[in-house]
Amino acid sequence: MKKSIRYLYTFVLLISCSLVFTLQGHAQGTLSGTVTDSESGEVLIGVNILLIGEDMGVATDENGEFEFTNVSSGTYTLSARYIGYNTYEQQVSISDGEETVVNIGLNESTLELGDVVVTAFGVERDRRAIGYTIQDVSSDEITRTGSGNVLDALQGQVSGVQVNRGGGAGKGSQIFIRGFNSLDPTADNQPLFVVDGVPIDNSTVESNGSPRGMSNRAIDINPDDIESVSVLKSAPATALYGVRAANGAVLITTKQGEPGEIRVNFSHQVSRESVINRPDYQNVYGPGFGFESNPDGFWPSWGAPFSETPELQYYNNWENSMRTGVGIDNSVNISGGTESATFYASVSNSNNRGVVPNNDWDRTSIRLSGELFQGPLTVSASANYINSGGNRVKFIDYMARLSYWNTSADVTDWRFEDGTMKSDSRDGRGSGRNPVYDANVNTFEDDVNRIIGNIRSSYQFADWLSLDYLIGIDTYSDDRTEIEPGPLGLENEFVWSNVGGFIDETRINSRDITSNLSLNMSTDLTQDFGMTLRLGNDVFDRSTNLIRARGQSFVVPRFNHLSNATNVSNAQQLTEKRLIGVYGDLNIDWRDILYLNVTGRNDWTSTLPENNRSFFYPSVSLGAVVSDMVDTPDWLTYAKLRVSYAEVGKDAPPYSTVGVFVAPSIYPIQGTTGFTKGATIASPDLKPERTTSQEVGFDLRFLNNRLGLDLTLYRANSKDMIIPVPVSNATGSSRFITNAGEIENRGIELTLRATPVQMQNFQWNLTSNFTVNRNEVVSIRDGVDAISLGSISAYVNRPFMQLVPGQSYGAIWGTSYERLGADPDSDVLDESLPIVIGEDGFPVINENSLIVGDATPDWTMNVSNTFNYKSWDFNFNVDFVMGVDKYNKLDNWDAAFGHTEKTLNREDRVVFEGVLADGSTNTQEVWLGQGEDPETGRNYGAGYHRNTYRGVIEESVEDASYIKLRNIGLGYSLSDNILENLPFRSVRAGVTANNILLWTPFSQYDPEAFNSSGSNLIGLVDLAYPGTQSLIFSLNFSF
Amino acid sequence: MKYLNKLLLVSVLSIFMVLGCSDFLDINEDPNNPTSAPIEGLMTNTTLETGQNTNRVASTTSFFVQHFASPNEDSSTDTHESVSYGGTWANLYFNIGDLLVLIDQADELGAPHYSGTAKVMVAYNLGMLVNMFGDVPFSEGFSDDILQPSYDNSADIYSAILNYLEEAKTELQASESAASPGSDDFIYGGDLAAWTRTAHALEARYRNHYSKLGEYDRTAVLSAVENSFSSNDEDFQISFFDEGIATENPWYRLADNNAGLLLGGWLSDQFVDQLNGETFGLADPRIEFITEPATTEEFEGEYIGTRNGAGRGAAPEQGERAVLAVGSYYASGPTAPLLMATYAEMKFIEAEAALTVDAARAYQAYEEGIRSHMEKLGVAQQDIDDYWNDPSVSVGSANLTIDEIMKEKYVAMFLNPEAWNDARRYDYDYSGFQIPANHNPELNGQMIRLVAYPDSEEQRNQANVPDRTMLDRVFWDQN
Repeated sequence: MKKSIRYLYTFVLLISCSLVFTLQGHAQGTLSGTVTDSESGEVLIGVNILLIGEDMGVATDENGEFEFTNVSSGTYTLSARYIGYNTYEQQVSISDGEETVVNIGLNESTLELGDVVVTAFGVERDRRAIGYTIQDVSSDEITRTGSGNVLDALQGQVSGVQVNRGGGAGKGSQIFIRGFNSLDPTADNQPLFVVDGVPIDNSTVESNGSPRGMSNRAIDINPDDIESVSVLKSAPATALYGVRAANGAVLITTKQGEPGEIRVNFSHQVSRESVINRPDYQNVYGPGFGFESNPDGFWPSWGAPFSETPELQYYNNWENSMRTGVGIDNSVNISGGTESATFYASVSNSNNRGVVPNNDWDRTSIRLSGELFQGPLTVSASANYINSGGNRVKFIDYMARLSYWNTSADVTDWRFEDGTMKSDSRDGRGSGRNPVYDANVNTFEDDVNRIIGNIRSSYQFADWLSLDYLIGIDTYSDDRTEIEPGPLGLENEFVWSNVGGFIDETRINSRDITSNLSLNMSTDLTQDFGMTLRLGNDVFDRSTNLIRARGQSFVVPRFNHLSNATNVSNAQQLTEKRLIGVYGDLNIDWRDILYLNVTGRNDWTSTLPENNRSFFYPSVSLGAVVSDMVDTPDWLTYAKLRVSYAEVGKDAPPYSTVGVFVAPSIYPIQGTTGFTKGATIASPDLKPERTTSQEVGFDLRFLNNRLGLDLTLYRANSKDMIIPVPVSNATGSSRFITNAGEIENRGIELTLRATPVQMQNFQWNLTSNFTVNRNEVVSIRDGVDAISLGSISAYVNRPFMQLVPGQSYGAIWGTSYERLGADPDSDVLDESLPIVIGEDGFPVINENSLIVGDATPDWTMNVSNTFNYKSWDFNFNVDFVMGVDKYNKLDNWDAAFGHTEKTLNREDRVVFEGVLADGSTNTQEVWLGQGEDPETGRNYGAGYHRNTYRGVIEESVEDASYIKLRNIGLGYSLSDNILENLPFRSVRAGVTANNILLWTPFSQYDPEAFNSSGSNLIGLVDLAYPGTQSLIFSLNFSF
Repeated sequence: MKYLNKLLLVSVLSIFMVLGCSDFLDINEDPNNPTSAPIEGLMTNTTLETGQNTNRVASTTSFFVQHFASPNEDSSTDTHESVSYGGTWANLYFNIGDLLVLIDQADELGAPHYSGTAKVMVAYNLGMLVNMFGDVPFSEGFSDDILQPSYDNSADIYSAILNYLEEAKTELQASESAASPGSDDFIYGGDLAAWTRTAHALEARYRNHYSKLGEYDRTAVLSAVENSFSSNDEDFQISFFDEGIATENPWYRLADNNAGLLLGGWLSDQFVDQLNGETFGLADPRIEFITEPATTEEFEGEYIGTRNGAGRGAAPEQGERAVLAVGSYYASGPTAPLLMATYAEMKFIEAEAALTVDAARAYQAYEEGIRSHMEKLGVAQQDIDDYWNDPSVSVGSANLTIDEIMKEKYVAMFLNPEAWNDARRYDYDYSGFQIPANHNPELNGQMIRLVAYPDSEEQRNQANVPDRTMLDRVFWDQN
């Protein structure tokens, strides 16, 4: 309540101030005139006319007329401002007793997309009227990347945003806006995705067991249907969307029909993908161990050199086992209409094949939308049917088995004639598992059928009052089938499955319904004050149903069906959640110079206990167009300051308030089902989370918009987060759900826009985004030292990520080399200290895990250049990501198996740099090889790389900074001359290359590698799907 | 304007209507899991988990007593490193928690048969917990309100254990019970007499742990033995199921994985040398029912164990060293029985307890212990007799010492957590027993006495975790 009173007070103050202004006066001349649109001659109503120097301002009335009375004689600057038009200024002289008339014609301003932005609920507003930061991406910028996933298209285009994408046909991407603001390790931290005002589902449901890179559901949206994307980064922007937009919101606006003749657009695109950054493998040493050749054994690369074993040949299996990825996209859309009705229809198909064998993904999308205008009533409807899916591969297993594969065997020769697996021993009947066999024979297919539809209506009661209603539905079924065939019953067969084969059928059904009713008022309170008020009611209902049946151990070979399984088990998971909200959005502007925006929203959620179910959160933002308030030099075209404060609440995951008993998945056994107490202690006192954010920034434009600089400083604190806090198992449980902790994100976002060259035929546009974000865990709870995010495997000591107060969210923990003089209380590894060398001459491993890296980048920057010359367009876009660490498990693995060039030093003798425990410099020479040193006779066992290197996580935590040429493209459009003779309206052909790696210190593969869009373990890269670069040819024409 | 008023009224009303419908939002009851479980369901899971917990604890303690050795050099459990056994700790607590809920439900229902059965299992699981970790939380544990429970003295917990067994014995004899276990009891199928015998057997076991303390009551021990099992058929054991990997006997799974080159279940040279005749000059016929001979050319037919801490060295992953073999008694298949307390064990307890007061009884029990274990494994009668008749075994009642008893009990307690309790009471005085290679230097050449507290406790309950080393002892482990 206190806060609302404060807002009211400010509002009243503003009103009284303006009244004072208008009451002032001590002059004797009159100034009047009419304002019209210079092109059409239409009068313009509500234009702000300012007499600078006298501090007088009026707005034009319904005839476009304005009048100043009692003006002191003198010379003044008269300025006229109106949204959508260039500001007009001229000098006027007022004389005593005289009536001066000035008629003004305003020119429509060339609206760059950057000036009208789509805000919450699809409301379009002028950027100058907004007190917080919004960034948007145009349709061209999206389709230029050639990516099938709308998330990927945002990469580098928007400051404050980090997108993880990589390889794999259909692989899910994830997007983080201004860091992580949840301590819950299972929180998905993704923003809300909204299409035409209707929130859609963007979840990722990863596969059971080893991840396969399942898609994030926004991948179903056809990028060719997108008109623009607005990214709302922070609480003031998202406060109207409520709890689901606590991580920001991505607003997608789709293309609509335009009145006029029917237009048809057709686009065709072919892309070829290849692996980026291949590992530096050595081809000197062959299979075996301790320098002894053994092409039939387990060890792929520790054996005798190939030069000594002429009967063996080196196969570059890593390269050979990847194929060229191919993508073919076709899309056609038809649109048109009249003044009273428009329509838009599109059909598109995307067909993709990944670089890993048998990985593919397709999408077909059909969309139909239309709008009807009947006087005060506007009705529009849209329906989008999508079918997508493909075959997914366990990429971690694939890469691991490639690491185990003997380098003297050809992995692409994966089966015998009878279809059984060929191993890496000489006779092919060994036990080394062939990853290509696995990818081809063990399948995982997903098939998604989805409908996204909405109906909206708007009734204009008067020009200042309208009522809008929107109802939308997003429903899909995701059918997944995983098959691992059982033994075929053939002689000498290598039976892949150790459970006799299995079939796993999963059916996921999800339905989201959104209903939104709002009353909109837009009026001028007085001549100087304009107001829009929007009051609304928002209802959301989500229900999901997951059913799984797994049949194991097939009876009849080659018949992979549930009825053929010896053991069948099943599981079901139902979730339902509902949200009701009411909100108010008040905008008041003073003479189009000062803008005040106040919002308030109250939510009632089903996931919190009844007495804590309702919560309210406000926001306020202020924008001031300083350049129109004071005299600014000519070269400063526009200067605006903005400041905002907002709160957003968040609710709990469903079913967190009551403790339950659980039937473990192994049941039923012998027809009986066992139960155990659930591992989570529920809290009946849960209350909502709260994120408070403050933002201040400015937007400067110079030299008539040739140069623009937008800077934002922000800070967001999330408190009382609903997290599962680990508790002592002696309670009989593992976790306790409660409100705890605080996380802070603060940073800087800078966007630079420039048009360095603007000539008749040639234009060069430059946009650059720069982001710095610091993500710190401020506190958790008394008695809880850390919250574990998770870990992944390593040979000896697993690296892990955990949230510890005072440290960054992205801290990577692992073993390191012991350091002399290290502070025993410090959690962070001090790499500058000397390494302790043991008595055996090898560095000593510190088994206690320390923070050995940080997976959140120090800073990121993107520089995008577009050049237009007559019919040609050329662009290139460079991404810089600096100061980010990642645990490179492939390096750890491959070093343990002797594949990398790093291990070529295995015959060297070295003296490790460092000190002994007593501080004296190490001088002992040791041999890095395996077995007995031929010179000294000392037995080194499994050798340095296996004994020491692979146990030290520090060695494999690498700098994953990179500079990438995100895309570079050239296009040619047929000129109007040529088009006159052709039936086409426009034709463009283009070629683009994406994701070219220019520089990275990260070894082995793509520095952007990550595991799954459903995971928060951004710093621990398992044996990830290889990152790819692509070459795309596209052809677009319309008629 | 009329229009406007009407519409406004309708919208405002509908908004309030929706707000008023708190029913609309009352959907937060978990449809996937019940808020209370049927008593049969709890019984099913606790009996299964009791068997699983036995395997979990024995998977660690078998290394300490050197039944198992790791195929990998310098493996942490094998060398007594400070390992965090968080999973075992958690599973024991979860199971005891479920059993306590079961007991409460049984009390509410008026079903002493359920309550008694559950109390036997509480005693059993709690015993494993205390003997592995020492002082542990108990009286303040199992509560949703005390998130950081304090630690109880192990001696006090033992009193509670014996108390549970007393109450169990009474409740299992109750003439009336609203409900009784049946097919939901995966161990005995609802046989209350069997549970009563088990209560006595556990009482014998736990009372015998006091052997080095002043309050040792050998009469009570012997009396408990008499009321426990009278043959192998009455053993406290659980046969698992062939309905999927997770339902199989975990020892079989270990052996099967090992056969598939996911190494595990390798036998220590301490154990193998005793069985193959190296240590005592007499080959034990049980060896072929536990493991298999080598199949490599060089060592064909021989039984070779692995030295704890040393790893397999140059030996191949398969074929040379003795491992827990698929098809052997303990790992015959998915439905192999997992032994928890046996008739043979009772006999050895009897032999130990009676040793100083009734030599004849002790010797008879000693013989019966050996014979019954061999019969259980399936050794042929002739081989049993040959083994027994060897003078190193049948030493005569006058010459029977604790050494012979413990030597034989060592074999009979294979894969049982109780073996570590024996070893500690016996100060690891087995013939040929040595500390593992690459032994954890923190232990200064001494054998481990208790495992370290798990990381989960250090992180989540730091204020209460006692500060002790792995050389500190559980209360009955005196010099």
